[in-house]
Amino acid sequence: MPEALTLDWSVFAIVLGGGLVTWMTRIGGPWLIARLRLGPAANAALEATPGAVLVALVAPAAMSRPSDALAAAFVCLIARRVPMVVAVAAGVVAVVVLRRLM
Amino acid sequence: MSTGSFAVPASPRQDFASGVVHSLPIVAGAIPFGFLLGSLAAKAGLSALDMGLMSALVFAGSSQFVAVELLDKGSAGLAVVGAILLVNLRHLLMGATLEPRFRGVPRARAGLALFFMTDEQWALALRRGPELSLAYWYGVAATLYLAWLSSTVAGTLAGALIADPTAWGLDFTFIAVFLCLLAGFWRGIGSLPPWLASAAAALAVHALSTGGTWHILAGALAGGAVAALQAKGLGRTRDA
Repeated sequence: MPEALTLDWSVFAIVLGGGLVTWMTRIGGPWLIARLRLGPAANAALEATPGAVLVALVAPAAMSRPSDALAAAFVCLIARRVPMVVAVAAGVVAVVVLRRLM
Repeated sequence: MSTGSFAVPASPRQDFASGVVHSLPIVAGAIPFGFLLGSLAAKAGLSALDMGLMSALVFAGSSQFVAVELLDKGSAGLAVVGAILLVNLRHLLMGATLEPRFRGVPRARAGLALFFMTDEQWALALRRGPELSLAYWYGVAATLYLAWLSSTVAGTLAGALIADPTAWGLDFTFIAVFLCLLAGFWRGIGSLPPWLASAAAALAVHALSTGGTWHILAGALAGGAVAALQAKGLGRTRDA
């Protein structure tokens, strides 16, 4: 399959540039924090960041329609009571059923 | 060689295997999206080699969707690289929270491990807690990397064969995974104000901006700001 292996050099340059800037965002966090002295408030902000990022990641999709919001609430209820695989599978089944119904 | 604050497991092989197993629910959700991205890339005129190199070197799903969309529209190279950078700026905040782990890890070692830091990698690493070892990190990384690389390349080869993954509720996999990880961060009622602030900011920015991941940065900053205010409030009551 020769066309599958054609390399577009302009695309490759974009991929190289994109890969480089992405890697810099990945190594930049620890590098910056190691060089900053954080007060208690900044530390509290940093400690709250993981939860806030996760909330921000899911909020738009979870609130996109009532069926998804209900399924998301359901996952939150069971998340601390069952293993993650079970909670995820139950959530997907719930959303498929709810999307049909609503 | 120093592993910083990473745990040194009794059995690295077992830790690696745990990383692989814990990644499987994420892989199940990621593969259809890899296929979808690949088929969009084929539509945009990318070859399987172009796509494979992008997945191998950028390895960041949402930014790749944005890049492929821009390439399809014929955007300038610098604009595409800039868009990739903006979509991935959230990694700065995520990496910052992992800094205690990487303290003392040799630079090359940390640079290699952090190359694999996707949203899912980061979340699973935090969830692992004090037991987190580099073996576990690479168990997750290897699984996610191979799944993403193979599914995006396969999608490009298959072209537009793949139907919309949302039809099967597979898009919800990510929401469910992130919610389970979020539940692990619950520290009582004090967790609620930053989370509500994050949700409000994320929803507002998401409604205003088209595409991209600005809402993630907005939510992270709003949540962090509220947590900082809470800490200041606590400090004041303690002083009084």
